[in-house]
Amino acid sequence: MNQAITAPPTVAVDHLRLAYGNKPVLDNLRWQLQPGQVVGLLGRNGAGKTSLLESLLGLRDGTTGTVRLFGQPLDRLDDATRARIGYAPQHSDLFEWMTPAQLLAYFKSFYPRWNDAKVDALLDRWAIDREMPIGKLSGGEQQRLSIIRALGHEPDLLVLDEPVASLDPAGRRDFLQELVEQVIVRGTTVIFSTHILSDLERVAFHVGFLSGGRIIVQAPLDELMEGTRSLVGPQQALQQAARTRGWQVLGESPLADGRARMLARAGSDAPPSSLAGIEVSSVTLEDLFMGLTR
Amino acid sequence: MTTDPTAHFSIVTGSAEPIYRQLAEQVKRRIAAGQLAPGDEMPSVRELAQALAVNPMTVSKAYSQLEAQGVLERRRGLSMVVAARAGPAPRVSDRAELLRPTLERAAIEAHQLGLSEARALALFKTILQETQPADAP
Repeated sequence: MNQAITAPPTVAVDHLRLAYGNKPVLDNLRWQLQPGQVVGLLGRNGAGKTSLLESLLGLRDGTTGTVRLFGQPLDRLDDATRARIGYAPQHSDLFEWMTPAQLLAYFKSFYPRWNDAKVDALLDRWAIDREMPIGKLSGGEQQRLSIIRALGHEPDLLVLDEPVASLDPAGRRDFLQELVEQVIVRGTTVIFSTHILSDLERVAFHVGFLSGGRIIVQAPLDELMEGTRSLVGPQQALQQAARTRGWQVLGESPLADGRARMLARAGSDAPPSSLAGIEVSSVTLEDLFMGLTR
Repeated sequence: MTTDPTAHFSIVTGSAEPIYRQLAEQVKRRIAAGQLAPGDEMPSVRELAQALAVNPMTVSKAYSQLEAQGVLERRRGLSMVVAARAGPAPRVSDRAELLRPTLERAAIEAHQLGLSEARALALFKTILQETQPADAP
Protein backbone atom coordinates (compact mmCIF):
# COMPACT_ATOMS: atom_id res chain seq x y z
CA MET A 1 0.00 0.00 0.00
CA ASN A 2 3.07 2.27 -0.03
CA GLN A 3 2.39 2.98 -3.66
CA ALA A 4 -0.44 5.25 -2.48
CA ILE A 5 2.17 7.94 -1.84
CA THR A 6 3.32 8.22 -5.42
CA ALA A 7 0.67 6.60 -7.59
CA PRO A 8 -2.13 8.77 -8.98
CA PRO A 9 -5.63 8.12 -7.65
CA THR A 10 -7.07 4.94 -9.16
CA VAL A 11 -10.24 6.87 -9.88
CA ALA A 12 -10.50 10.65 -10.14
CA VAL A 13 -13.82 12.16 -11.18
CA ASP A 14 -14.48 15.88 -11.54
CA HIS A 15 -17.52 17.91 -12.60
CA LEU A 16 -19.30 14.76 -13.74
CA ARG A 17 -22.80 15.49 -14.99
CA LEU A 18 -25.45 13.29 -16.47
CA ALA A 19 -29.11 14.07 -17.08
CA TYR A 20 -32.05 12.11 -18.38
CA GLY A 21 -34.10 14.73 -20.18
CA ASN A 22 -34.44 17.55 -17.68
CA LYS A 23 -33.76 15.35 -14.71
CA PRO A 24 -30.17 15.58 -13.46
CA VAL A 25 -28.83 12.24 -12.25
CA LEU A 26 -25.22 13.14 -11.55
CA ASP A 27 -24.71 16.78 -10.71
CA ASN A 28 -21.18 18.18 -10.76
CA LEU A 29 -19.96 15.08 -8.96
CA ARG A 30 -16.44 14.85 -7.55
CA TRP A 31 -15.02 11.56 -6.38
CA GLN A 32 -11.59 10.08 -5.74
CA LEU A 33 -10.43 6.60 -4.88
CA GLN A 34 -6.87 5.94 -3.81
CA PRO A 35 -5.04 2.72 -4.71
CA GLY A 36 -6.09 -0.17 -2.50
CA GLN A 37 -9.20 1.48 -1.10
CA VAL A 38 -12.29 -0.66 -0.71
CA VAL A 39 -15.29 1.62 -0.97
CA GLY A 40 -18.93 0.74 -0.48
CA LEU A 41 -21.23 2.96 -2.53
CA LEU A 42 -24.57 3.64 -0.87
CA GLY A 43 -27.65 5.42 -2.12
CA ARG A 44 -31.38 4.96 -2.37
CA ASN A 45 -33.03 3.31 -5.34
CA GLY A 46 -32.82 5.68 -8.28
CA ALA A 47 -30.02 7.73 -6.72
CA GLY A 48 -27.86 6.98 -9.75
CA LYS A 49 -25.41 4.38 -8.44
CA THR A 50 -25.46 2.30 -11.60
CA SER A 51 -25.26 5.47 -13.73
CA LEU A 52 -22.21 6.57 -11.76
CA LEU A 53 -20.45 3.21 -12.02
CA GLU A 54 -21.18 2.98 -15.75
CA SER A 55 -20.02 6.57 -16.28
CA LEU A 56 -16.73 5.75 -14.56
CA LEU A 57 -16.14 3.00 -17.07
CA GLY A 58 -17.21 4.97 -20.15
CA LEU A 59 -20.31 2.86 -20.64
CA ARG A 60 -22.76 5.75 -20.43
CA ASP A 61 -23.36 8.27 -23.23
CA GLY A 62 -24.13 11.90 -22.58
CA THR A 63 -21.89 12.55 -19.60
CA THR A 64 -19.78 15.68 -19.25
CA GLY A 65 -16.87 16.27 -16.93
CA THR A 66 -13.63 14.39 -16.52
CA VAL A 67 -12.88 10.86 -15.42
CA ARG A 68 -9.32 9.62 -15.02
CA LEU A 69 -8.49 6.01 -14.25
CA PHE A 70 -4.95 5.23 -13.09
CA GLY A 71 -4.10 8.81 -14.09
CA GLN A 72 -5.25 8.42 -17.71
CA PRO A 73 -8.22 10.27 -19.21
CA LEU A 74 -11.08 7.84 -19.77
CA ASP A 75 -11.33 8.57 -23.51
CA ARG A 76 -7.64 7.85 -24.04
CA LEU A 77 -7.07 4.71 -21.97
CA ASP A 78 -4.41 2.50 -23.45
CA ASP A 79 -4.95 -1.24 -23.74
CA ALA A 80 -2.68 -2.06 -20.81
CA THR A 81 -4.69 0.21 -18.53
CA ARG A 82 -7.99 -1.13 -19.84
CA ALA A 83 -6.80 -4.62 -18.91
CA ARG A 84 -6.40 -3.50 -15.29
CA ILE A 85 -10.15 -2.94 -14.89
CA GLY A 86 -12.75 -5.55 -13.94
CA TYR A 87 -16.50 -4.98 -13.91
CA ALA A 88 -19.43 -7.12 -12.87
CA PRO A 89 -22.65 -5.35 -13.87
CA GLN A 90 -25.90 -5.60 -11.94
CA HIS A 91 -27.74 -7.23 -14.81
CA SER A 92 -25.19 -9.05 -16.81
CA ASP A 93 -26.11 -9.61 -20.40
CA LEU A 94 -24.14 -12.82 -20.56
CA PHE A 95 -24.35 -14.66 -23.84
CA GLU A 96 -27.12 -17.06 -22.99
CA TRP A 97 -26.45 -19.55 -25.74
CA MET A 98 -22.81 -19.99 -24.74
CA THR A 99 -21.60 -22.31 -22.01
CA PRO A 100 -19.54 -20.94 -19.10
CA ALA A 101 -16.44 -22.61 -20.59
CA GLN A 102 -16.99 -20.88 -23.96
CA LEU A 103 -17.76 -17.52 -22.36
CA LEU A 104 -14.63 -17.55 -20.22
CA ALA A 105 -12.46 -18.63 -23.16
CA TYR A 106 -13.92 -15.75 -25.15
CA PHE A 107 -13.15 -13.18 -22.45
CA LYS A 108 -9.72 -14.66 -21.84
CA SER A 109 -8.82 -13.80 -25.44
CA PHE A 110 -9.17 -10.09 -24.69
CA TYR A 111 -6.63 -9.96 -21.89
CA PRO A 112 -2.85 -10.29 -21.85
CA ARG A 113 -3.08 -11.98 -18.46
CA TRP A 114 -5.62 -14.55 -17.30
CA ASN A 115 -5.49 -16.74 -14.22
CA ASP A 116 -6.82 -20.11 -15.41
CA ALA A 117 -6.12 -21.78 -12.08
CA LYS A 118 -8.15 -19.21 -10.18
CA VAL A 119 -11.02 -19.34 -12.67
CA ASP A 120 -11.11 -23.14 -12.46
CA ALA A 121 -10.99 -23.09 -8.68
CA LEU A 122 -13.89 -20.62 -8.51
CA LEU A 123 -15.99 -22.63 -10.98
CA ASP A 124 -15.44 -25.67 -8.76
CA ARG A 125 -16.00 -23.84 -5.50
CA TRP A 126 -19.22 -22.29 -6.74
CA ALA A 127 -20.32 -25.52 -8.47
CA ILE A 128 -20.98 -23.98 -11.88
CA ASP A 129 -21.54 -26.47 -14.69
CA ARG A 130 -19.02 -25.53 -17.37
CA GLU A 131 -21.02 -27.13 -20.18
CA MET A 132 -24.57 -25.99 -19.40
CA PRO A 133 -25.92 -23.17 -21.61
CA ILE A 134 -25.75 -19.97 -19.56
CA GLY A 135 -29.45 -19.28 -20.17
CA LYS A 136 -30.26 -22.41 -18.15
CA LEU A 137 -28.19 -21.42 -15.10
CA SER A 138 -30.00 -19.98 -12.08
CA GLY A 139 -29.85 -16.24 -11.35
CA GLY A 140 -27.33 -16.84 -8.57
CA GLU A 141 -25.13 -18.98 -10.82
CA GLN A 142 -25.21 -16.36 -13.57
CA GLN A 143 -24.23 -13.72 -11.04
CA ARG A 144 -21.33 -15.83 -9.80
CA LEU A 145 -20.20 -16.45 -13.36
CA SER A 146 -20.25 -12.72 -13.99
CA ILE A 147 -18.04 -12.22 -10.92
CA ILE A 148 -15.62 -14.94 -12.07
CA ARG A 149 -15.43 -13.26 -15.46
CA ALA A 150 -14.54 -9.96 -13.74
CA LEU A 151 -11.83 -11.60 -11.61
CA GLY A 152 -10.16 -13.79 -14.27
CA HIS A 153 -7.64 -11.18 -15.40
CA GLU A 154 -6.81 -10.12 -11.81
CA PRO A 155 -7.81 -6.48 -12.19
CA ASP A 156 -6.30 -3.67 -10.12
CA LEU A 157 -9.65 -1.88 -10.12
CA LEU A 158 -12.74 -3.98 -9.53
CA VAL A 159 -16.20 -2.45 -9.94
CA LEU A 160 -19.09 -4.51 -8.64
CA ASP A 161 -22.66 -3.29 -9.06
CA GLU A 162 -24.95 -5.11 -6.60
CA PRO A 163 -22.79 -8.25 -6.79
CA VAL A 164 -24.74 -10.28 -4.28
CA ALA A 165 -28.35 -9.37 -5.07
CA SER A 166 -29.19 -12.88 -6.36
CA LEU A 167 -27.17 -14.83 -3.80
CA ASP A 168 -28.52 -16.47 -0.65
CA PRO A 169 -26.82 -15.72 2.70
CA ALA A 170 -24.40 -18.66 2.35
CA GLY A 171 -23.51 -17.60 -1.18
CA ARG A 172 -23.00 -14.03 -0.02
CA ARG A 173 -20.68 -15.08 2.79
CA ASP A 174 -18.69 -17.23 0.38
CA PHE A 175 -18.41 -14.34 -2.05
CA LEU A 176 -17.26 -11.96 0.70
CA GLN A 177 -14.60 -14.43 1.80
CA GLU A 178 -13.40 -14.73 -1.77
CA LEU A 179 -13.30 -10.95 -2.01
CA VAL A 180 -11.20 -10.69 1.16
CA GLU A 181 -8.89 -13.62 0.41
CA GLN A 182 -8.19 -13.08 -3.25
CA VAL A 183 -8.92 -9.46 -4.02
CA ILE A 184 -8.53 -7.15 -1.05
CA VAL A 185 -5.29 -8.68 0.25
CA ARG A 186 -3.74 -8.10 -3.19
CA GLY A 187 -4.27 -4.36 -2.76
CA THR A 188 -6.95 -4.18 -5.44
CA THR A 189 -9.06 -1.03 -5.45
CA VAL A 190 -12.68 -2.10 -5.11
CA ILE A 191 -15.93 -0.17 -5.51
CA PHE A 192 -19.08 -2.01 -4.77
CA SER A 193 -22.66 -0.94 -4.47
CA THR A 194 -25.15 -2.89 -2.43
CA HIS A 195 -28.26 -2.46 -0.35
CA ILE A 196 -27.17 -5.20 1.99
CA LEU A 197 -25.65 -3.08 4.72
CA SER A 198 -24.30 -6.00 6.74
CA ASP A 199 -22.11 -7.11 3.82
CA LEU A 200 -20.92 -3.62 3.21
CA GLU A 201 -20.04 -3.16 6.88
CA ARG A 202 -17.81 -6.21 6.81
CA VAL A 203 -15.90 -5.55 3.65
CA ALA A 204 -15.90 -1.84 2.90
CA PHE A 205 -13.35 0.15 4.88
CA HIS A 206 -14.63 3.38 3.34
CA VAL A 207 -18.22 4.25 2.55
CA GLY A 208 -19.46 6.84 0.08
CA PHE A 209 -23.02 8.16 0.07
CA LEU A 210 -24.57 9.19 -3.24
CA SER A 211 -27.47 11.62 -2.86
CA GLY A 212 -28.77 14.48 -4.98
CA GLY A 213 -26.34 13.54 -7.74
CA ARG A 214 -23.24 13.96 -5.59
CA ILE A 215 -21.04 11.99 -3.25
CA ILE A 216 -22.07 13.90 -0.15
CA VAL A 217 -19.87 12.07 2.36
CA GLN A 218 -17.00 9.66 1.94
CA ALA A 219 -15.08 8.49 4.97
CA PRO A 220 -13.80 5.40 6.75
CA LEU A 221 -16.92 3.77 8.16
CA ASP A 222 -15.41 3.38 11.65
CA GLU A 223 -14.63 7.08 11.89
CA LEU A 224 -18.02 8.05 10.57
CA MET A 225 -19.79 5.89 13.16
CA GLU A 226 -17.61 7.05 16.03
CA GLY A 227 -17.82 10.73 15.11
CA THR A 228 -21.55 10.90 14.45
CA ARG A 229 -24.39 11.06 16.97
CA SER A 230 -28.12 11.06 16.73
CA LEU A 231 -29.51 13.92 18.83
CA VAL A 232 -33.12 14.43 19.85
CA GLY A 233 -34.27 17.62 21.58
CA PRO A 234 -35.75 21.08 21.03
CA GLN A 235 -34.94 22.07 17.46
CA GLN A 236 -33.52 25.45 18.44
CA ALA A 237 -31.24 23.96 21.09
CA LEU A 238 -29.96 21.42 18.58
CA GLN A 239 -29.21 24.02 15.94
CA GLN A 240 -27.58 26.25 18.52
CA ALA A 241 -25.36 23.39 19.74
CA ALA A 242 -24.40 22.46 16.18
CA ARG A 243 -23.42 26.05 15.38
CA THR A 244 -21.36 26.72 18.47
CA ARG A 245 -19.60 23.37 18.39
CA GLY A 246 -18.98 23.36 14.66
CA TRP A 247 -20.75 20.08 13.97
CA GLN A 248 -21.48 19.07 10.43
CA VAL A 249 -25.23 18.47 10.29
CA LEU A 250 -25.76 15.37 8.16
CA GLY A 251 -29.52 15.30 8.48
CA GLU A 252 -32.37 16.84 10.42
CA SER A 253 -36.00 15.86 10.68
CA PRO A 254 -38.68 17.64 12.71
CA LEU A 255 -40.64 15.81 15.39
CA ALA A 256 -43.72 17.01 17.30
CA ASP A 257 -43.72 19.97 19.73
CA GLY A 258 -40.82 21.91 18.20
CA ARG A 259 -38.46 19.01 18.73
CA ALA A 260 -36.25 17.45 16.09
CA ARG A 261 -33.88 14.59 15.42
CA MET A 262 -30.48 15.62 14.14
CA LEU A 263 -27.65 13.52 12.77
CA ALA A 264 -24.48 15.47 13.50
CA ARG A 265 -20.83 14.74 12.88
CA ALA A 266 -18.33 16.21 15.31
CA GLY A 267 -15.13 17.78 13.99
CA SER A 268 -11.83 16.85 15.54
CA ASP A 269 -13.27 16.74 19.07
CA ALA A 270 -14.88 13.61 20.40
CA PRO A 271 -18.66 13.80 20.07
CA PRO A 272 -20.53 14.55 23.28
CA SER A 273 -21.91 11.65 25.29
CA SER A 274 -24.50 13.82 26.98
CA LEU A 275 -25.96 17.31 26.64
CA ALA A 276 -28.47 19.02 28.89
CA GLY A 277 -32.00 18.55 27.55
CA ILE A 278 -30.80 16.58 24.52
CA GLU A 279 -30.95 12.84 24.08
CA VAL A 280 -27.65 11.63 22.58
CA SER A 281 -27.20 8.19 21.04
CA SER A 282 -24.60 6.51 18.90
CA VAL A 283 -25.43 5.48 15.36
CA THR A 284 -25.42 2.37 13.21
CA LEU A 285 -24.70 2.18 9.51
CA GLU A 286 -28.45 2.00 8.93
CA ASP A 287 -28.97 5.28 10.86
CA LEU A 288 -26.31 6.87 8.65
CA PHE A 289 -27.95 5.51 5.51
CA MET A 290 -31.37 6.82 6.53
CA GLY A 291 -30.03 10.22 7.52
CA LEU A 292 -27.65 10.77 4.64
CA THR A 293 -29.57 9.54 1.63
CA ARG A 294 -32.75 11.02 0.22
CA MET B 1 -7.14 -31.94 17.83
CA THR B 2 -6.06 -28.44 16.90
CA THR B 3 -8.18 -25.50 17.86
CA ASP B 4 -8.68 -22.80 15.31
CA PRO B 5 -7.41 -19.55 16.89
CA THR B 6 -9.96 -17.54 14.96
CA ALA B 7 -12.88 -19.50 16.42
CA HIS B 8 -13.00 -17.30 19.54
CA PHE B 9 -13.80 -14.20 17.57
CA SER B 10 -17.19 -13.19 16.35
CA ILE B 11 -18.72 -9.98 15.14
CA VAL B 12 -22.19 -8.61 14.75
CA THR B 13 -23.20 -6.20 12.03
CA GLY B 14 -25.86 -3.52 12.39
CA SER B 15 -24.42 -2.49 15.75
CA ALA B 16 -23.39 1.03 16.79
CA GLU B 17 -20.05 -0.48 17.84
CA PRO B 18 -17.63 -0.54 14.89
CA ILE B 19 -16.27 -3.97 14.03
CA TYR B 20 -12.68 -3.10 14.96
CA ARG B 21 -13.84 -2.11 18.43
CA GLN B 22 -15.85 -5.33 18.85
CA LEU B 23 -12.70 -7.31 18.10
CA ALA B 24 -10.56 -5.25 20.47
CA GLU B 25 -13.07 -5.61 23.30
CA GLN B 26 -13.21 -9.38 22.80
CA VAL B 27 -9.46 -9.66 23.21
CA LYS B 28 -9.56 -7.55 26.38
CA ARG B 29 -12.39 -9.61 27.86
CA ARG B 30 -10.63 -12.88 27.17
CA ILE B 31 -7.42 -11.61 28.75
CA ALA B 32 -9.33 -10.33 31.78
CA ALA B 33 -11.01 -13.71 32.17
CA GLY B 34 -7.67 -15.50 32.03
CA GLN B 35 -8.52 -17.28 28.76
CA LEU B 36 -5.58 -15.54 27.13
CA ALA B 37 -2.23 -15.33 28.90
CA PRO B 38 0.86 -13.19 28.26
CA GLY B 39 2.72 -14.54 25.24
CA ASP B 40 -0.34 -16.12 23.64
CA GLU B 41 -0.35 -15.50 19.93
CA MET B 42 -3.17 -13.77 18.05
CA PRO B 43 -4.29 -15.08 14.67
CA SER B 44 -2.64 -13.17 11.82
CA VAL B 45 -4.53 -10.25 10.34
CA ARG B 46 -5.08 -12.24 7.19
CA GLU B 47 -6.34 -15.37 8.97
CA LEU B 48 -8.81 -13.47 11.08
CA ALA B 49 -10.00 -11.29 8.19
CA GLN B 50 -10.65 -14.36 6.08
CA ALA B 51 -12.38 -16.31 8.84
CA LEU B 52 -14.76 -13.45 9.64
CA ALA B 53 -15.06 -12.15 6.05
CA VAL B 54 -14.07 -8.65 7.12
CA ASN B 55 -11.67 -6.15 5.62
CA PRO B 56 -8.07 -6.85 6.78
CA MET B 57 -7.62 -3.15 7.56
CA THR B 58 -10.36 -3.48 10.17
CA VAL B 59 -8.51 -6.32 11.94
CA SER B 60 -5.29 -4.39 11.63
CA LYS B 61 -6.90 -1.37 13.25
CA ALA B 62 -8.08 -3.47 16.21
CA TYR B 63 -4.59 -4.92 16.74
CA SER B 64 -2.92 -1.52 16.41
CA GLN B 65 -5.23 -0.03 19.00
CA LEU B 66 -4.56 -2.90 21.40
CA GLU B 67 -0.83 -2.49 20.82
CA ALA B 68 -1.04 1.24 21.54
CA GLN B 69 -2.89 0.44 24.77
CA GLY B 70 -0.18 -2.04 25.80
CA VAL B 71 -2.56 -5.00 25.62
CA LEU B 72 -0.76 -6.69 22.72
CA GLU B 73 2.83 -6.47 21.59
CA ARG B 74 4.37 -7.12 18.23
CA ARG B 75 6.87 -9.95 18.30
CA ARG B 76 9.78 -10.05 15.95
CA GLY B 77 8.32 -10.94 12.61
CA LEU B 78 4.72 -10.00 12.29
CA SER B 79 2.78 -11.86 14.91
CA MET B 80 0.98 -10.14 17.75
CA VAL B 81 1.04 -11.64 21.22
CA VAL B 82 -0.61 -10.80 24.51
CA ALA B 83 1.69 -8.38 26.33
CA ALA B 84 3.48 -9.38 29.48
CA ARG B 85 1.48 -7.85 32.30
CA ALA B 86 3.19 -5.62 34.82
CA GLY B 87 0.85 -6.35 37.69
CA PRO B 88 -1.15 -9.32 38.94
CA ALA B 89 -4.18 -10.65 37.10
CA PRO B 90 -7.07 -8.16 37.06
CA ARG B 91 -9.46 -8.32 39.96
CA VAL B 92 -13.04 -9.40 39.55
CA SER B 93 -14.21 -5.79 39.91
CA ASP B 94 -12.04 -4.74 36.95
CA ARG B 95 -13.30 -7.62 34.89
CA ALA B 96 -16.89 -6.70 35.74
CA GLU B 97 -16.22 -3.16 34.54
CA LEU B 98 -15.56 -4.53 31.05
CA LEU B 99 -19.16 -5.66 30.94
CA ARG B 100 -20.46 -2.16 31.64
CA PRO B 101 -20.84 -0.86 28.04
CA THR B 102 -22.88 -3.89 27.01
CA LEU B 103 -25.08 -3.69 30.10
CA GLU B 104 -25.61 0.05 29.69
CA ARG B 105 -26.99 -0.58 26.25
CA ALA B 106 -29.22 -3.34 27.58
CA ALA B 107 -30.42 -1.07 30.41
CA ILE B 108 -31.39 1.71 28.00
CA GLU B 109 -33.36 -0.76 25.91
CA ALA B 110 -35.04 -2.20 29.00
CA HIS B 111 -36.20 1.31 29.99
CA GLN B 112 -37.42 1.97 26.47
CA LEU B 113 -39.42 -1.25 26.58
CA GLY B 114 -40.85 -0.28 29.96
CA LEU B 115 -39.57 -3.44 31.68
CA SER B 116 -39.41 -3.48 35.46
CA GLU B 117 -36.02 -3.86 37.15
CA ALA B 118 -37.01 -7.28 38.47
CA ARG B 119 -38.15 -8.47 35.06
CA ALA B 120 -34.93 -7.33 33.36
CA LEU B 121 -32.71 -8.87 36.04
CA ALA B 122 -34.62 -12.15 35.92
CA LEU B 123 -34.12 -12.29 32.16
CA PHE B 124 -30.39 -11.63 32.52
CA LYS B 125 -30.14 -14.40 35.11
CA THR B 126 -31.91 -16.84 32.80
CA ILE B 127 -29.61 -15.94 29.91
CA LEU B 128 -26.54 -16.38 32.11
CA GLN B 129 -27.69 -19.90 32.95
CA GLU B 130 -28.62 -20.74 29.38
CA THR B 131 -25.28 -19.62 27.98
CA GLN B 132 -23.02 -21.11 30.66
CA PRO B 133 -20.21 -23.02 28.93
CA ALA B 134 -20.33 -26.75 29.62
CA ASP B 135 -16.79 -26.82 31.03
CA ALA B 136 -17.29 -23.91 33.46
CA PRO B 137 -16.57 -24.61 37.13
